[in-house]
Amino acid sequence: MRRDPDPLARLVQPVSRVLRQGSALTVLSGLVWPAQAALVATAFGRLVAGQPVGIGGLAAAYVVLGLVRAWLGMAADRKAQAAAETLTAGLRAEIVAGEAARSGAGAAGGAGAVAALAAEKLEALVPWLTRYAPARLRVAVLPPVILALSLWFSWAAGLVLLISGPLIPVFMALVGLAARETSERQMARIGSLNDLLVDRLSALADIRLLGAGDAVARDFATQAGGLRRDTMAVLRLAFLSSTVLELFAAVGVAMMAVWVGFSLLGVVSFGTWGAPLAPEAGIFLLLLAPDFYQPMRDLAAAWHDKAAAEAVAAELAARAATQTPSLPGRGERVAPLAGPASITLAGCRAAHGLRLPDMAIAPGEAVALVGPSGAGKTTVLRLMAGLSLPCDGEVRVAGQTLTSDNADAWRARIGWMPQSVHFLNASLRANLTLGRAGDVAAALAGSAAAGVVTRLPGGLTARLGETGGGLSGGEARRMTLARALHGAPDVILADEPTADLDAGTAGAVAEGLLAANRRGATLVVATHDRNLAARMDRIIRLEGTA
Amino acid sequence: MKHLAPILRLILRDQRPALLRGATLALAVLLAGVALLGLSGWFITAAAAAGLAGAGAVFDVFRPSAGVRFLALGRTAARYGERLLTHDAVLRGLESLRLQVLRGFLAAPWQRMARIRSAQALNRLTADVDALDGLVLRLVLPLAAGLAALAITFVLLWWLVGLAVALWICVGWLAAGGAILWLAGRTALGPSRRIEAAAQAFRSRLIDLIRARDDLAVYGLLQRQAGAVLAADNRRHALRRILDRADRRAGAALMAVSALIGGGALWLGGTLAQSGEITPAAAALGFFATLALFEAVAPVRRALADLGRMTDAARRIGPSLTPPPAAAVQDAGHAGPGLSCDGLWLKPAGGGGWLVRDLSLAVAPGETVALTGPSGCGKSTVLLALAGLHPIARGRVAIGGRGLAGMDEATLRDRLTLLPQRSALLAGTVAGNLRLACPDAPDADLWQALEAVRLADPLRARGGLDLWIGPGGAGLSGGEGRRLALARALLRRPDVLLLDEPTEGLDAPTSGSVLAGIRHLAPQAAILMASHRAAETAFADRRIQITRIVDATY
Repeated sequence: MRRDPDPLARLVQPVSRVLRQGSALTVLSGLVWPAQAALVATAFGRLVAGQPVGIGGLAAAYVVLGLVRAWLGMAADRKAQAAAETLTAGLRAEIVAGEAARSGAGAAGGAGAVAALAAEKLEALVPWLTRYAPARLRVAVLPPVILALSLWFSWAAGLVLLISGPLIPVFMALVGLAARETSERQMARIGSLNDLLVDRLSALADIRLLGAGDAVARDFATQAGGLRRDTMAVLRLAFLSSTVLELFAAVGVAMMAVWVGFSLLGVVSFGTWGAPLAPEAGIFLLLLAPDFYQPMRDLAAAWHDKAAAEAVAAELAARAATQTPSLPGRGERVAPLAGPASITLAGCRAAHGLRLPDMAIAPGEAVALVGPSGAGKTTVLRLMAGLSLPCDGEVRVAGQTLTSDNADAWRARIGWMPQSVHFLNASLRANLTLGRAGDVAAALAGSAAAGVVTRLPGGLTARLGETGGGLSGGEARRMTLARALHGAPDVILADEPTADLDAGTAGAVAEGLLAANRRGATLVVATHDRNLAARMDRIIRLEGTA
Repeated sequence: MKHLAPILRLILRDQRPALLRGATLALAVLLAGVALLGLSGWFITAAAAAGLAGAGAVFDVFRPSAGVRFLALGRTAARYGERLLTHDAVLRGLESLRLQVLRGFLAAPWQRMARIRSAQALNRLTADVDALDGLVLRLVLPLAAGLAALAITFVLLWWLVGLAVALWICVGWLAAGGAILWLAGRTALGPSRRIEAAAQAFRSRLIDLIRARDDLAVYGLLQRQAGAVLAADNRRHALRRILDRADRRAGAALMAVSALIGGGALWLGGTLAQSGEITPAAAALGFFATLALFEAVAPVRRALADLGRMTDAARRIGPSLTPPPAAAVQDAGHAGPGLSCDGLWLKPAGGGGWLVRDLSLAVAPGETVALTGPSGCGKSTVLLALAGLHPIARGRVAIGGRGLAGMDEATLRDRLTLLPQRSALLAGTVAGNLRLACPDAPDADLWQALEAVRLADPLRARGGLDLWIGPGGAGLSGGEGRRLALARALLRRPDVLLLDEPTEGLDAPTSGSVLAGIRHLAPQAAILMASHRAAETAFADRRIQITRIVDATY
């Protein structure tokens, strides 16, 4: 894959105007300080000389300028934060839209990884926008201005700044380069460590049953220790860069102080443009010197913001470059597709290369798909449901070729029962109906699940966790079936509908499915259950030839 | 605050020396900053006065200029050391915090353990631990160092400049800075707590969207779910705006206070100098010190914005750190090898009436018993109770002749293995998953176990023991995952093997062959399996039927 030269610059393009405005305001706020310094220098210069001085007026002016500076800083922050909000909100919307347009079959990254990117990693862009970008402009403007002001009073003072100043970027670049590399490595590491923790915690019960608790905890401690060492390596470099800067700044200011002190004492007499250094000028130079270095220190402190933001930008760019199959249709509610509830597969090959037998299912027919695990039963059901399109061949439904244009309309006719269910973080009723109108009680009765609902505290209003908290495997399965039956769809696609069920309940479930079939619904079940398969009109055998 | 205290104690307890050193250095940094600016201001002004008075030759320039250099370099060094020490200590503290949480959950009751499986709970847990990282580093240390620096500066200014200037500067910073920070913290408390809830809603809705994408697509809800995800994000941004505004205002207020105190110090010092009570150099010292004190107060501000978030995290994490009390020992002796229970009464996990009444059974070594009954009659709960994971209301359980009640966790897991209905595989290789059960097992043993569950041939073609399995068993079919979990349980070589619907998802011939393989590999194990499939009950030597209890008020 070709690497984008500067993914970050492209990423922030949409908010660059607001960002520039904010940065300009921080520069203005920085420019107030020389004026304040001049006031202070005047006050002390005159005090020293014993000249009359309106100290009250000077102090008041100092305070007013300080308030202006505070206000400018606040306005600058407001701009930068607005830019950050616009950008992250936009990127999140893009990720969400992208995920909603993807086909489940070839998803890039698990749900956890995508959620981590959208929820947490994107936040790494915020400090870049609010700290790094303004600091970058301050570095470009404020040091030259202060240098010019210093040169105005004394070439020696200017020289001190000039020598110590330009060395800083060189050091910063060197240290920053090293920090960036480590930081990128660390970002990847944090992602995988979080995945590891989540993985271990979700298998907590198994770990305990296998008596592996201590081993896993030890292993985790090792990994966490590794992460700490990595983090410290990054921090050591990051701190080193700011320490180098501080060192330069400290030495620069100290040299300035000593030179100014000696000049004022008359011990040295070089460095000014002719006349000896006035006390006001000396104090002014000393007050300005730290602010010559401050923008560069701010930038250094924000260095790892830049590295982190670049890592995120690179990840987003890589994500954008990854092609995954897209979901046919938009997944919106539309009017059902007209036509008979027939399904035909002709010459289909699935995305991962599996060749599928041709089959034609007539309206109202009940068909069982059987075959060994991995033969493609689920793949066939997904093709029939219009959840993915075959890479060769065609799927015809209701007399027309299934495409992105009619997929939503076709799916509006389907009752869908997946092999493993992910319940939404919502009430049982919401999970059962998924927004379709219909008779909930009838659907529950058809799936022998009415008893399950009455046993749950809160009944239909009970909130289900992700994997169906509070439901046993068999109960969750019956709820999924009830959902498939709900709203009397005229095509029912069921993946292993009787798995996890005892013989009595399995019989009732089969009866529920067949009742829907007798009502006129086309029924396709993928199953290992011979009893269930035997009750269908027809059995289609999948051999799983690649 | 009461929730933060135990976490703080934990971090302080483990890392006390490192944090103390860090705090000392932090204070040194602040004081060196104040001293550096103060001394420089004094030095320049005093030098100017001496120069004007023609006393330049007798003015001692070397001690002040050496002091300036020393303070400048010392401050830089102290800052580097402080940063390294405190960050390292805090990271170590967090490491032990994570580990305690993990261990706490490993010892938690079964129900709690099952709840943590949900991605939302998991994520919240990791996010909470991360949030606590700021507690010491960004809040406690800067606050302590800042207060100490203010106090010491007060004394120094009193001595060197005068009480009025010292009071104005230090009390001013303490009162105004404290008030601003307190107000900012209070404003942020609610939103910073709610913003986390919004972030979690965003995440859980996004995960719902991705995991249930097929279902949502079929039911035409995909776009609506996407809208709900973004609604949560909008809520987060609205709260973020409130927090940002509070933070901006606090920042601006601190700068305004800095200007005010600076201006005041200038006026006070200037007036005193004009009246001759202090030298202009002393007045300069006071003013310059004020500039440096901004550094003592400002760093606390950012952390306060997260105080609500930290408190919330601490409230949730706290209970995980204290392991639950061990179950009371009931009885010890019970005759007979294998597994037996006598007069077992169980209540369901959610509470309510009896789920299982007066169940007695015995499984001899080498015997296979099927526990049957309609769905929901409590088969799984019986297995959990026998494995020590569900409270036993009445009755006795004995494993290999020893009472379950008095058995410690390690012994119990050594003798008994339960394969629950839903078992999780770890991301990693096949071998890694198997060795979870038995870390030292040679490859041959692993193959033997895979052979027993008829998984050796399917895996051999795809990389064998090195086949990589994604999170949640991705890369294996449902039936293969089930068999791998079975093989893993077998590697424990337990005396008692409890299997909850072991062959679910397998076709009948494979089921029979897998069960035969299990028996072959563990000929002497007492096997009790909850099952309703013909293949399983046919394989069992004997069946025990549980009936569903209708009379729940008994």
